[in-house]
Amino acid sequence: MTLSLFDQFSSPSFLGIPMILMALALPWLLIPTPTSRWLSNRVVSLQGWFIARFTNQLFLPLNVGGHKWAPLLASLMMFLLTLNMLGLMPYIFTPTTQLSLNLGLAVPLWLATVLIGMRNQPTHALGHFLPEGTPTALIPILIIMQTISLFIRPLALGVRLTANLTAGHLLIHLISSAVFVLMPMMPVVAILTAVLLLLLTMLEVAVAMIQAYVFILLLSLYLQENV
Amino acid sequence: MGLRLLIFACCYLKLMTFSFYIPANALKSKGPIGAGLVQASHSLHTSSKSLAPVPALPEKGGQVRHGIIPEELFQLLYPKTGVTGPYMLGTGLLCYLLSKEIYIINHETLSAASIGAVVIYAIKKFGPSVAAFADKLNEEKVLNAQAVKDVALVGLSQAIEEEKKEQWRAEGRSMLFDAKRNNVAMLLETNFRERIHMVTNEVKKRLDYQIAVQNLNRQMEQEHMVNWVEKSVVGSITPLQEKESIAKCISDLKALARAKASLAV
Repeated sequence: MTLSLFDQFSSPSFLGIPMILMALALPWLLIPTPTSRWLSNRVVSLQGWFIARFTNQLFLPLNVGGHKWAPLLASLMMFLLTLNMLGLMPYIFTPTTQLSLNLGLAVPLWLATVLIGMRNQPTHALGHFLPEGTPTALIPILIIMQTISLFIRPLALGVRLTANLTAGHLLIHLISSAVFVLMPMMPVVAILTAVLLLLLTMLEVAVAMIQAYVFILLLSLYLQENV
Repeated sequence: MGLRLLIFACCYLKLMTFSFYIPANALKSKGPIGAGLVQASHSLHTSSKSLAPVPALPEKGGQVRHGIIPEELFQLLYPKTGVTGPYMLGTGLLCYLLSKEIYIINHETLSAASIGAVVIYAIKKFGPSVAAFADKLNEEKVLNAQAVKDVALVGLSQAIEEEKKEQWRAEGRSMLFDAKRNNVAMLLETNFRERIHMVTNEVKKRLDYQIAVQNLNRQMEQEHMVNWVEKSVVGSITPLQEKESIAKCISDLKALARAKASLAV
């Protein structure tokens, strides 16, 4: 029984072919392509407005050197948002529940920001290890702590996304199983649990959007420190 | 394992096979690598249809019934099964799937129901406002362009008005020239008359001078002559004559006094 709860998160493969490639590539088909028209339909207009607004908002605090990352972060946001939101549908696999995927996104991007900082402005980047105004006695401990904090960032990024989505999906699975099992036995309790499921679903929708945004926001913050 | 991967890779890549029968404009819009696909499949210009101007977008999107089922299905089935046909089809299909346990009701059905409820509620509540917002985005774009056009139109019509005014002004040119000519003539006339007066005055001054000189001459001659006469007369009076005249004057005066005294009495 315990095993079957986590079976939903095993990376799907069909006849030995990993299906996660499909799961990663096909949501692209749902995103409308901006046409060469001046005025297009509502979906394209809304998407254009959203991406423009989001990118503007995200890159306000960054200096011009960081604006090179705009296409990457904007497209990553759309990617994560689509994957997360689609995963809420029934029978759909959410690739972002896989730690491998999330670490695969987090580690290279975090490492890129660190290397950019070390290469272009090493003094400034190393200065982050010792915030201003620390008492002299605390300096050794603080440097160790900052180093640990630096190296835990990619892990935190990846695990945050994985854990949030996995936990959400697991909860939905559990509560809907509970409703399903309780329905013939205690319908009133089942109905109450169904209300809980509804609330949880709304929460999961919010979490899906927020987690994608937080991932991108933290990356932009790391970039801000280093670029 | 490696062979399976190869087969899968071939199947996956088959999505991107190029064909000479796919028109370029269909490929251009195929996502981020659309442009590359166009380059890769240089289609022959088999028809005279060009890509511009782009044909207009349809006024409304595809019609759907109950949110997801396209209206075309209902139209397709109407001739054979009437109005209730598609609904019977749907119900029958559902019953078939359920009874044959092709689709099993499990916890996922319930989670599908809950996410379905959330999605339907969100669409019903926020759909119209989001659609209005999207329409407003397009409207603003059009309004901005229209504003530019309007400003240009106003500017140009103003220019036309001013040009017409200039043409009307140009018609009155001859009157202007006549007036100017009159002005000039008047100026010349005034100037001429001034100069004539000046000349007259100058000439009169010179003549007056001559007259004054002549008068002075005559006056001096006269005075000189009178003085000479007086001098000669006074010089010619001898003392004897002077005594006789004085005696005569005294006797005359006495006679006059007697006469006056007799009159008074």
